Amino acid sequence: MITLRGLTYTYPGAVRPVLEAVDLTVPAGAFVLVTGASGSGKSTLLRALNGLVPHFSGGAISGVLQVAARNPLQLGPRGMSACVGCVFQDPESQFVFDSVEAELAFAMENHAVPRLLMERRIDAVLDRLGMGHLRGRRISTLSGGEKQRVALASALTLEPQILVLDEPTSQLDPEGAEQVLSLLARLNQDQGITVVLSEHRVERVLPHADLLIHLPGDGTLISGSPREVLPHTDQAPPLVQLGVELGWTPLPLSVHEARSHAAGHALATSSHTRVRAVTSDAPDAITANGLSYAYGEHVALSDANLRVRQGEIVALMGANGSGKTTLLRLLVGLLRPIRGDLYIRGQDARHLTLEERIRTLGYVPQNPNALLFAETVADELAFTRRSHGLSPDLPEGLLEALGIESLLDQYPRDLSVGERQRVALGAILAAEPEIVLLDEPTRGVDRAQKEAFMRYLAREREEGRTLLVATHDVELVAESMDRIVLLAEGSVCDDGPTCDVMARHPDYCSQIGRVFDDGRLLTVRDVLGAVR
Amino acid sequence: MRNPLVWLLWAASAAVLALSMRNPLYLTLIVLATWLVYLGVAPDTPMAGGWRALLRLGLIIWLITIPFGALMNHTGEIVLLSLPENWPLIGGPVTLEAVLGGAASGYALWTLLFIFAAFNLATDASQLMRMAPAFLYQAGVVATIALTFVPQMLQSAREIREAQRIRGHHFRNWRDSLPLAMPLLTTAFEHAVQLAESMESRGLSGELTDLGPGRTRLLRGSLALGLLLLMAGLVLRITWIQAAGDGILLAGVLLMAGVFWQLGRHSRRTRYGLQIWGPGDGAVALGSVVALAAGVLAARSNPALVSYAPHVDGVLIPPFSPTLGLAVALLAVPGVVSLVQDRPPSVKGEDGRPVSSDTLP
Repeated sequence: MITLRGLTYTYPGAVRPVLEAVDLTVPAGAFVLVTGASGSGKSTLLRALNGLVPHFSGGAISGVLQVAARNPLQLGPRGMSACVGCVFQDPESQFVFDSVEAELAFAMENHAVPRLLMERRIDAVLDRLGMGHLRGRRISTLSGGEKQRVALASALTLEPQILVLDEPTSQLDPEGAEQVLSLLARLNQDQGITVVLSEHRVERVLPHADLLIHLPGDGTLISGSPREVLPHTDQAPPLVQLGVELGWTPLPLSVHEARSHAAGHALATSSHTRVRAVTSDAPDAITANGLSYAYGEHVALSDANLRVRQGEIVALMGANGSGKTTLLRLLVGLLRPIRGDLYIRGQDARHLTLEERIRTLGYVPQNPNALLFAETVADELAFTRRSHGLSPDLPEGLLEALGIESLLDQYPRDLSVGERQRVALGAILAAEPEIVLLDEPTRGVDRAQKEAFMRYLAREREEGRTLLVATHDVELVAESMDRIVLLAEGSVCDDGPTCDVMARHPDYCSQIGRVFDDGRLLTVRDVLGAVR
Repeated sequence: MRNPLVWLLWAASAAVLALSMRNPLYLTLIVLATWLVYLGVAPDTPMAGGWRALLRLGLIIWLITIPFGALMNHTGEIVLLSLPENWPLIGGPVTLEAVLGGAASGYALWTLLFIFAAFNLATDASQLMRMAPAFLYQAGVVATIALTFVPQMLQSAREIREAQRIRGHHFRNWRDSLPLAMPLLTTAFEHAVQLAESMESRGLSGELTDLGPGRTRLLRGSLALGLLLLMAGLVLRITWIQAAGDGILLAGVLLMAGVFWQLGRHSRRTRYGLQIWGPGDGAVALGSVVALAAGVLAARSNPALVSYAPHVDGVLIPPFSPTLGLAVALLAVPGVVSLVQDRPPSVKGEDGRPVSSDTLP
């Protein structure tokens, strides 16, 4: 279905090629997972399949590329659009119209499909994807997962043989991601559509994938079955890492497969305890009693109670719409609660102005791009110091903690998502707040960047800084957080040490945690500690 | 959803009526009819908040127009107070009639805004754009993108302003706008690139028609010639001989119509049929046309019935004809039909929860 022979591509103005003499064969009907760090060429490879590279991006390309018996280098995106459907990362910015129906018709209109046939195809696609109820809706009223499914549907109306998806789930919550992935698996199995998909959270896709392409970032490419390739990459999810460490064969790709291996190990649980003793007499950093908020008539938060002690690292979890962001915005003072009391380090928040609050509280919003504007990273950090009326000297150890000391002279917008996230964090930490609130810090971030972020959290733990992190990332929580506060429909439905909450809510439990019934083993490190 | 053309007809009829009438009794009827339409189409959509804001804005505009009319008009019998005669423009007596006349004019403006707001809620502007003729397709696409782009940018701007504020940013002079403008600019740019990629991979191309380059050039030439004839005809008509001017004007119009027809016929696209004539559309169209016709007829045969100018004729209580009132009330037909027949799907997530409150402002 897809053949690459000696494909070399260089972006305009770049010195080194991003793909160098790459060979690849993908059989028809395969489910292909493309992995690699940010900037390793995943997006480039995917965009070459429908001719966006080089027709849209420019640059120099050589070698042979054949997709569905056509040549994308010659035909370009328009010529390939009938046999390659594309879905991109951001659910917000790939729609032409605001109406689901019109969006689905767009590709067919461009191909002059007769009106009656369009009608029938739209019916068929919506029916096949089980999305008939979305037909009359406006796209701006849909959730992220629904939007990505509409994008998928609109790529299917021309009945392509290949679907190309560039990190389609990275901006979605776990529920939305699962909806999109199970839909893809069904299309692949029932319709025989070849699926090529890139993803940072490898573990989500592994159970479906039968071919894995890894881009190490040096212009080369490794492909093969996931079990063969994964152990040789830096992209292996915790489950595979554990399998490699304990010598499990065949390597487990899903929780189900791992459970039978795990049964054979005797675990020394009694000696191991992962609960970190937060000295219970530490004073409260944040105390919220009966906090409520509503957007118009929509109640976003009702009667939420929250206590965060100084020096704690607390995860705020829950489905989209459960009130996580609302709670953070209330704490920092962007919203005023309708009811309830809020104390920041014992002071009644009602008597604090926003300026006074942000001296103690730092808030890093979900989208780092909202903060970054300066020419260099150094300017970016200096700006915060100036805004707060502080001396220009950065707090000691800040750059090292974030691992951004080598980026100081770079233009922030040129960095990878993970690096940008940490620069944004640096821009907030430059003011030395005692409490830091983070909203989805690992969204769209690759594994290496996520590990860098975990190292930062480990350092902050030593320093005794207080952190409250809203996140969907169960692996991050299992690795770095002391406690989970779980929200559901605007109120706190569970609150306790990480392993206890994870044991009570399998949906919010790490993969390793679901393999072992022990309830105390959540990460690779935990298990290795218990085994040895 | 009703056919957008029917909504256009309704909004046009209502707007013409509101513009041609100053009689507050009929205006009130139009407002009530529009209110019913609003209840029928969209009381529980997220846009309903925008509707309220628009109406508040209209109320403010109205309140401003009242003193404006009252101070500029000095006719009428019932003097409320007198300003010194030597004040330019506003000097002289302020009369009750002028206040009422000003209020009636402001009321007509507010009614117009009311109609516009209801129309906006009832129909998707992008659907109307899509009904542009085939050769204007790309212009239509650009306009619809702008329609979705602008609200998204406003949302981004709000996020950026908040994020910078929390970082301690204060707005003092123009240089302080950089932390707000730069992220917005780069966000907009990234968004545009992503959208362009998405459109290209779904087969949007730069070419409009399947005509060869030769035919395309010919058509372009003819279009230019047609425009030229049109202008020449207009100039001739005014300056020299009317008949000759009319002839050339007609030739220009015919030539351009021919070009457009050809372009439309060879358009490489088909268009998805959103303009289905649904049940109830006939009733709405008929109601709108009857109301409009009655209003226009009344304005022609008995102008005193629809106009209201107490500062001119001294009549404080406006006249009312039940027949005309009934005709104007026909503007409520879409509301009635929607209430009985097709409530739009409510805006809930598929599991019944309201959608994505995490991203609400």
